[in-house]
Amino acid sequence: MNPERLPDPTAPEVIAAGADAPVVIAAEGESGPEGEVAAEAGSEVLSRAGAAVDIAGLTWRPYGRATPVLTGLDLRVEPGQRVLLVGPSGSGKSTLLRAIAGLLQTADSGELAGSVLVDAVAPQDRPGLVGMVMQEPGAGVVASSIGRDVAFGLENVGMQRAEMAAPVAGALTAVGLGSLDLDTSPWTLSGGEQQRLALAGALALSPRVLLLDEPTSMLDPENAAGVRSVVAEVVARDLLTLVVVEHRLGPWLDLVDRLVVIDARGAVVADGGPREVLASHGSSLVAQGIWVPGIPDPVPLTLDLDWAPPALAAGTSVATAEDVTVRHTRQDLGRAPREVTAVRGGDLTVRPGQLLALVGPSGAGKSSWLRVLGGMVAPTKGTVRLGLAGETPPHELGSVELARAVAWVPQWASATLLARTVRDELLLTARAVGLDETVATARAELLLDALGLRAIAEVDPRLISGGEQRRLAVAAAVLHQPSLVLADEPTVGQDRLTWAAVMGVLESIQRAGSGLVVTTHDGGVTAVATRIVGVRRPEPKKTKKPSKKKLAKLAERQEAERQEPSVERGAMRVGGGGRLAPDVSAGVAAEAAPVREPLVARAGPLSPLLASLMVLPLPALVTSWRQALWIIAAEVMLGAIALWAPGRGARPRGRWRGLLLRAIPLSIGVVTMAWSAWLLGGRDLEIASTAGLRLVALVLPSIVLLPFVDPDALGDHLAQRLHLPARPVVAATAALQRFQAFGELWRELMTARRIRGVGAGSSWVERSQEIAGVTFALLVAALGQAGRLAVAMDARGFGGARRRTWAGAAPWRLPDTLVMLGGLLVVAVGVLTVVFPPG
Amino acid sequence: MTNLNAAAERGRTILATRPLNRWRTIDLLTCAFLGVAFGAIYWAWGIAYAVPSEILSAPFAPLGALANWPWLMAGILGGLIIRRPGAAVFAEVLAAAVSMLIVTKWGAMTFVSGVVQGVGAELGFLLFGYRRFGARAAMVAGALAGALEAIFEWYSYWTDWDMTFKLAYLILLAAAGAVFAGLLSLALTRGLARAGALNSLPPGQEARESRTIA
Repeated sequence: MNPERLPDPTAPEVIAAGADAPVVIAAEGESGPEGEVAAEAGSEVLSRAGAAVDIAGLTWRPYGRATPVLTGLDLRVEPGQRVLLVGPSGSGKSTLLRAIAGLLQTADSGELAGSVLVDAVAPQDRPGLVGMVMQEPGAGVVASSIGRDVAFGLENVGMQRAEMAAPVAGALTAVGLGSLDLDTSPWTLSGGEQQRLALAGALALSPRVLLLDEPTSMLDPENAAGVRSVVAEVVARDLLTLVVVEHRLGPWLDLVDRLVVIDARGAVVADGGPREVLASHGSSLVAQGIWVPGIPDPVPLTLDLDWAPPALAAGTSVATAEDVTVRHTRQDLGRAPREVTAVRGGDLTVRPGQLLALVGPSGAGKSSWLRVLGGMVAPTKGTVRLGLAGETPPHELGSVELARAVAWVPQWASATLLARTVRDELLLTARAVGLDETVATARAELLLDALGLRAIAEVDPRLISGGEQRRLAVAAAVLHQPSLVLADEPTVGQDRLTWAAVMGVLESIQRAGSGLVVTTHDGGVTAVATRIVGVRRPEPKKTKKPSKKKLAKLAERQEAERQEPSVERGAMRVGGGGRLAPDVSAGVAAEAAPVREPLVARAGPLSPLLASLMVLPLPALVTSWRQALWIIAAEVMLGAIALWAPGRGARPRGRWRGLLLRAIPLSIGVVTMAWSAWLLGGRDLEIASTAGLRLVALVLPSIVLLPFVDPDALGDHLAQRLHLPARPVVAATAALQRFQAFGELWRELMTARRIRGVGAGSSWVERSQEIAGVTFALLVAALGQAGRLAVAMDARGFGGARRRTWAGAAPWRLPDTLVMLGGLLVVAVGVLTVVFPPG
Repeated sequence: MTNLNAAAERGRTILATRPLNRWRTIDLLTCAFLGVAFGAIYWAWGIAYAVPSEILSAPFAPLGALANWPWLMAGILGGLIIRRPGAAVFAEVLAAAVSMLIVTKWGAMTFVSGVVQGVGAELGFLLFGYRRFGARAAMVAGALAGALEAIFEWYSYWTDWDMTFKLAYLILLAAAGAVFAGLLSLALTRGLARAGALNSLPPGQEARESRTIA
């Protein structure tokens, strides 16, 4: 047996599971530069190194396009070669990557011709042969913990659970996430960590080709550097064949040995060593918007737009914030709400003509600053005032008033496009705030030319390219000249053309006297800033003159807050497979003493669900309120037992309060039901109380039990215990992971409408239309995510996973049996009340 | 609605890839994402519907059915978009399960309703042999989903009603399912296809093939 990294992922001895970087056990080349190894190695070494990629006559025309994206493309990548693939946006680079992975038809349909072979086999013949990392961090996340997420590919190839630990730990260590708890939620990671997690997911399957589709374009510079260094390490370690698509070439040049340039029609126009290709084609790459090292930053576009900013009284600031604190709550499906302090006690003043650059690490609260300044969230404490709005806090302004004063450019503004043509999009807010139509149209025409959007002025903005959407979104946000412009990382991921456009728009509006606040990591932006404001993550709060008792409490709270990050990183779970009652706050979980669990929390997710369903035949049995009362009595007794938390440890908090909260909607339903039964049943109190109590008997078990159904664990149990089909269960579990994100997107879309001046007023019709519009936009975005996730999942072998295994066990324990017996007991009481009618 | 119907009824309906029971990953994920998104919508409607429901049912209790059709949509939509056996059940059951887990006042009953409505919509598409996905199929799916749900509610919520009320409720919910839920789902399918959200699925392909090629 060769002690090599084999395609067969069941060779655990190859992967070191310790904290150090794993060692590849190889006969030669352990210390030498891998290039030499590849050059000197015989066929044996090559077989464990990267694979060759052979593309011949590849043509791809998505349905609905007259011209193919790729036409008769031929390309060979040698084993272990590291290729940087560049070209203008829309030239088919991502398409080519998907073709190499064999995933072109996964999220699109069209005509495909030609062949793609990876080491002479079709890329999807062996799951995970070709690993892939996509642009958007988190796009490929399938599970609720990083351990499960990395194990996903192993499940798809049917590896036994016991064998998964080593490759999972090895892959996480290889990407520098080895120190994290396996239970860490992927959604609490930074963007850079999420990209490294995606890489770990690919590495777990021992790929031989690695495809990276703009892996760092949505990251700040520090995170981007982290991802690149990890890529460099694993590619060197495993001698992988690498194909990277990026717009910023500089940082990748040392890592690659070949540069391939394709043009707008998807044809290869230059191919060779990076330095030579840059020497011969550098200027044409610059013209296409690619960041070529050694070429200075582009000059921001000069726009002469005849801006007319709203006049402020002399000496008035555009915006002032005093002692502002912002807290927000994060709520996952079936999880305890967590409160996060984003800004604490901050002051900020923006004067006309200033550009403030907010800088600081990810998660420091920069975006929260923009939101509170722009009235998108209310400050938890302190005051925010806008020069245009007098004493009215911005979060209380109506949509049109807010739009007049403030513009907001979110980082990925394309989701907030609202109109049906590019021209209407530009004019949307100007029309909403009643800007003079001639002035607005003149500006729009100028912007269409300056931003290169003239040719697509009448096209639906949802169908134009990403770069075009971003240029459009920035221009559309500010065309009406608000006095305050808030831009969230406006230059991240921009090519040179969109960079120049965005900076041109921002600079010209600044010159005209608007105040700008920009969050950024970009040296090109801070260089032109009036003032640079450092933003730090809020420190634990200090109290003045504390008493002894307060000091003790403070110490306790600081301890809890110090531990907050680790709590956020998913240490929410307690015990094996158990979880906290939903109302226990994160702060409590961080305290040292273990919390006792209610009995029902010691059961798996399946038995509470089944027990809730078991009572469903009851309404057919119950004909009098006396019967219902007996059943309810049994339910109350059993419910109290289920929520009882015996044993040692701290008392779990919030059990009963949570129960009462959940009982509110039930009470309303019961009253309504009883009321209509009273009206219908000849105003008979007996009939009314029977109807009401019957509903209580039906729903009470759900109210007690359902909060203890863990949606993440439910999938494991449905598939392994109830033998539901594996693939739909996995798809549903992965979709559930996005539930929280859908809520955030909803709020973002609503916010965008409000701040662009087209938010609904108070009328019922307007509100309904707004909700319908936002719901539709949300569905479009959700289905887009589904497409990207499909590619990510198929890249890890999900497409062919007919017999998959499960990394998580689905044990049935004594508490499960007890919960089921409790349900049966309720049904038995119901049957008894029929056989021996009470009263 | 004749316009909406035209493309499909002229026999230009594009069907899912064969074999029909072999779900691609994108089919599963589209269905699952629809289900989860509609779970949130169902939950929200469960709060908002109280007012219209009370107003409608005040004169005649079964008229409350006219506020209940939105809960039929995920299944119809799943069937119209995915066009494979089981899609309607999958989308509707998942939506119901999600709204149940967010806590609705009906608890586990929500889940059973989801199964019943999903099966109803599924039967609609089955009747057309999974070959028709125009207005007629959407309306039949909606009507059957509504009818089955009504019968389930006879035995769970409306045990006190006499047969006249029960039949009136059934007819009203089936009609609302056909006209409102069915046709709105069809319009939504076409809208999503035009927005480029269904490119790898049959409705998206229909939209792209009919568009003037640019």
